Amino acid sequence: MKKLFYPAIIMSLVLASCSSDDEAGDVQQDIDVPSNYVFERGGETTVQYPGQTTRLQMTAELTGSFKSFDTATEESLLNMFAHVEGANDFENTALNASGKNIKSKTAASADYFSANVAESAEIKADFESFISQQVNEVFPNENTTAEAGVAGQVADGTRVRYVTGKGLELNQAFAKGMMGALLADQMLNNYLSTAVLDEASNREDNDNLVLDGDNNYTTMEHKWDEAYGYLYGDPSVPTANPNSVLNESEDHLLFNYLGVVDGDDDFSGLAQTVFDAFKTGRAAIVAGDYELRDEQVAIIKEGVSTIIAVRAVHYLQAGKESIVAGNVEGSFHALSEGFGFLYSLRFTNNPNTGTPYVSPSEIDTFKTQLLEGNGFWDVTPETLDTISETIATAFNFTVEQAAN
Amino acid sequence: MIKNALFILSLTLVVVACSSDDSTPEEENNDSFDRQALLVNWADNIIVPSYTAFTTETNNLVSATNSFTENPTVETLQQVRLTWIEASLAFQHVSMFEIGKAEALNYRNRINVYPTNTSEIDGLIADGNYDFSLPSTIDAQGFPAMDYLINGLASSDEEIVAFYTTNENAENYKAYLNTLAETISTLTETVLNDWNNGYRDTFVNNTSSSASGSVDKLANDYVFYYEKALRAGKVGIPAGVFSNEPLPEKVEAFYKEDISKQLALEALQATQDFFEGKKFGGTSKGESFKSYLAYLNTIKNGENLGNLITAQFETSKSKLEGLNTNFSLQIENDNSKMLTAYNELQRNVILLKVDMLQAMDISVDYVDADGD
Repeated sequence: MKKLFYPAIIMSLVLASCSSDDEAGDVQQDIDVPSNYVFERGGETTVQYPGQTTRLQMTAELTGSFKSFDTATEESLLNMFAHVEGANDFENTALNASGKNIKSKTAASADYFSANVAESAEIKADFESFISQQVNEVFPNENTTAEAGVAGQVADGTRVRYVTGKGLELNQAFAKGMMGALLADQMLNNYLSTAVLDEASNREDNDNLVLDGDNNYTTMEHKWDEAYGYLYGDPSVPTANPNSVLNESEDHLLFNYLGVVDGDDDFSGLAQTVFDAFKTGRAAIVAGDYELRDEQVAIIKEGVSTIIAVRAVHYLQAGKESIVAGNVEGSFHALSEGFGFLYSLRFTNNPNTGTPYVSPSEIDTFKTQLLEGNGFWDVTPETLDTISETIATAFNFTVEQAAN
Repeated sequence: MIKNALFILSLTLVVVACSSDDSTPEEENNDSFDRQALLVNWADNIIVPSYTAFTTETNNLVSATNSFTENPTVETLQQVRLTWIEASLAFQHVSMFEIGKAEALNYRNRINVYPTNTSEIDGLIADGNYDFSLPSTIDAQGFPAMDYLINGLASSDEEIVAFYTTNENAENYKAYLNTLAETISTLTETVLNDWNNGYRDTFVNNTSSSASGSVDKLANDYVFYYEKALRAGKVGIPAGVFSNEPLPEKVEAFYKEDISKQLALEALQATQDFFEGKKFGGTSKGESFKSYLAYLNTIKNGENLGNLITAQFETSKSKLEGLNTNFSLQIENDNSKMLTAYNELQRNVILLKVDMLQAMDISVDYVDADGD
């Protein structure tokens, strides 16, 4: 690990020396970037993202309910997904009172889906099918040992996993897929999109301190904070200094995996980089420096996309290791997580192109390869390596760096 | 791992430099240690004899359990308990060999997942309908489930016996206990038969020094066992190393109360004996991890790595010996000693998993699960 690190360091030195010349370098001196994500006007905070927190909580509770064999129904889970204000869909009554839901924001970003409603509908249907399959295929086989083509239980060490006939754990596919289809898509392709940040008179209003109705923020400030909320919005994560609970929060979505990836020496510093970009970008909005803002957008897009890519490769490789070691069933949990992150890859955003790092059609091919025939029961190490290499190459890291 | 990474890196550089050269070297190391002699000693002098001895104990356990359920008395209960202890001790000598049929059966988890799930057991007994091949029942079977049923149902033997006589579900209790013992025995015979009917030859002839070779695989199984089942399971987890508070109810054989130390010491001795290639039930030593390290002449801190590992086994043993026979009491009364023992066990994780495997150019084939 240590030795591997040297090339990475050298590489970053090279990159740093390449890029240092063509930057103005003194722009940031004009901007007051706070050490924490604290922005106030008239002594009151201007940062709010309750809608994001609500959706993260809804996603967490729905994912947990995938294993409520005795109480959940297809209808009850689909209702959690497409919650209607006032319906008693959740244990958490605050969520029931909310008019927000998951489904309407799934694959619903301005940049990727506003003119692409057919694919958006397909993606929403995919997540609904994860729910329906869980209830209709896995639930009836709760006490059946899974085989190729037969849903049921598999042993994973001392844990029990409940899988489809293809070996897919649907709660993993759902949760890890949501990180892209809901969180990353809304964050990167919607709220950090110029189309949203600069919509209508947002720039002019922001420059002239025209606040959003009775709120204490400008519309542009709020859009930025809504992006922030999709990463840091779990109630256990403090707004001002989220990295203070890195790897210790109760979040199980992107913030959790940001911590995991940051904990890998090959990617250490990522959590700080992303947080600094959010902070600097927000300060830039306050200062009206939209060029600096957009530089930070690029950093966030790359950083958050990297979380998804690294975990996709990591889990596909973990599954491969298990298969090579002769433990096919033991690979299903990792492959299910890998499948979910692979699904999420479609929502990544390469700031140089404004498109996903791996093309949607290639991702679809990979998903098909993973699940064709008996799915994980007979997927080959070669297939897993090929997919891993493609992802890693697109992101400029190595499979080895993500796997260990 | 590091070597492989560097290897791949340099390979990439080579490929970039001259991509026309398509001869890919095998990913094998070049030492010429006699891996087959090592595998033969493991299989013939340690693994198969250990399973054979354990099979005898599991047969005794089934006999005693049957006698008890045919005639439930305090005496027959105590007989079950004795055979259960003997079998539990003998199991410590095979638990590390999770390879071949054992791996396919999820053997260790079928035999010894603790703490056992008493509410699940109660429910299955009341229901009278269960399938121990279902993964969700691993925490309701094996030695820990038997521990609950012969030691944990009540505080006196008379009251325990009553579960098998006057209890309204007495027949179900008897059936469940018999099925537990028979399942342990059947699984063990299945593994032993596989070794005796072909797997031994497969195992000793798979001398490849790649990830699928027998040495690499069993080395991983052994280190995994030492790290997870012995160090963490028997000591670290109950001592609270992986949680906010100590968890004294998570010791092995919790309901028997006074054999958790004995089981840990037996397991530690078994892992040390295997490391040193000591013949099962004897004193002579054959090819082993230790002799392999001596062959490789691996020096760490100026000393032979094999000797360091042996010394660390001895240190760990002395720390375990200083603990209460009942680890639960030790944890409740003075957990610091438990933590000290854990620290000594942990030192050998480093020596075995990092130094030894690197010296042998063996890649670790397992990663810590992220817990969800």
